[in-house]
Amino acid sequence: MSAVATPEVPLEGRSLPAFALIGWRWVSRNPASAIAPIMLPFIFLYFLHLISAPSLFPLEVIGAMLFTTQNIGSWVLGDSATWRIENSLQDMFVASPLGKLRYLFGVAFSNLIPASPALAILSVLLAVTIGRPVPWYAWPVLLGSILVLWLLFSSVGIAISSRVRSQREIWPVGNLTFTVLGMLSPLYYPLSYLPPVIQAAARFLPATYAALLVQGVFGITAQSPSQMAVDGLLLLACAGVGTLAALQLYRWREG
Amino acid sequence: MAAFPLPRLRGAGAFSLTEFRVQVHEGIAIFTSIMTQAVLLIFVRILAPPLFEIALLGSLIFSVFTLGQRVLNEAAYIRVDHRLNQLYLASPLTPDSYFVGISVGVLMAYSLPILLLVAVAVLTLPFTPALVALLLSTGFAVWVFTSSLGYILSTTFRDMRAIWSQASILYNLFGVLPPVFYPLYLFPSALRPVALVLPPSAATALLQASIGAVTLSPGEVALAAGSHVVEAAVLFAFALYWARRTAMER
Repeated sequence: MSAVATPEVPLEGRSLPAFALIGWRWVSRNPASAIAPIMLPFIFLYFLHLISAPSLFPLEVIGAMLFTTQNIGSWVLGDSATWRIENSLQDMFVASPLGKLRYLFGVAFSNLIPASPALAILSVLLAVTIGRPVPWYAWPVLLGSILVLWLLFSSVGIAISSRVRSQREIWPVGNLTFTVLGMLSPLYYPLSYLPPVIQAAARFLPATYAALLVQGVFGITAQSPSQMAVDGLLLLACAGVGTLAALQLYRWREG
Repeated sequence: MAAFPLPRLRGAGAFSLTEFRVQVHEGIAIFTSIMTQAVLLIFVRILAPPLFEIALLGSLIFSVFTLGQRVLNEAAYIRVDHRLNQLYLASPLTPDSYFVGISVGVLMAYSLPILLLVAVAVLTLPFTPALVALLLSTGFAVWVFTSSLGYILSTTFRDMRAIWSQASILYNLFGVLPPVFYPLYLFPSALRPVALVLPPSAATALLQASIGAVTLSPGEVALAAGSHVVEAAVLFAFALYWARRTAMER
């Protein structure tokens, strides 16, 4: 008696290209929706350009880059929650060989794609407006900070997405979480401009250290190399703790 | 219904209260409705404290303006997600009452955070009867305009996922870029007539002039006030027509 032939089901896959395709499809099918979220940092930038000292503009551009990165978390929340609540797709992801971490990276990666044009434009704006030579490592530090925040806030977004119960909760919850986190961190102004109590609260947020580090390496705020090293370490530590906490909160399987 | 004693507005009072009850279940949405205003007020407080009073007046008008986004969201949600509009419109509720009911219900529910900003304004600004009257009248015209716009736009959406992002950009674009949170004199002078024609910035231009923050010529006052009233009236009339037309199509 011959063995029953079982269909060849691939247990390995390429999740990142698949999610990249999802990200690209969303942009290509809904250009207005893709443009909309990345315009908010530019709107803030225009407003700040009007009301603040011109010397703060490069700092504000860096703030817009970090804020855009942070907002990816909100989009991750939206996508993951919509797929779970409205499309009931999460059960399929859970049943597939795709694990929890690859799913997180996939959703985060698919949402990095619509944010990339804004980050590229802001980089050019920063290069044009910085007006002074910057050390070679400034750009890699900026890129590294963006990647750390991207991973952290995507984890936060996906963790929250597993807890929202209806489609209507997605936007307000995301708005509340990411706006509060963004505004408590000194992304658009120097930390010293904040009242002491708020400064102390801001020290608990990873985006604060990303902002301080990048402002320091670009020479926008005066910081010694040792201070910048401490900022970098604290950014990694806060991001590590935040990511682990978010993954603990994340509910991959329901019931 | 006694609250709206017009045949075309039959049921609007009851439907407004229904919508109000629906909305108050969305506590987080109500609470976060003033997030953008709070962020911009923080920016102004930190970076340009002398402009805080102007920004505060702007935040009140902007809060009313963004009610249209809530109307848009609610009307689209009822239609796209629940398909409840067909049930409502098959009932004795008229299309006019349906549109007005959503608008009034949203206004009632979202008044609470706006009152919070009003309380801050009362503590900060030198309120006179003239300023109060101007604030109420411009606020009313902005509400009529924005609710009508929100309802009309809601009928064009087919996907809930696209609504928040697209509506948010529309309302931020017209509420933050023009001189709503900052004085009219910081806006490019060549584009000044545009600011005086757009409802939120027209309202804030009149309010800024009333507290002496900017100077408007009589022609500019007429342009701001006239366009404000005409746009609100025209868009409201069109929203009523559109509500009846889209109800017939379904």
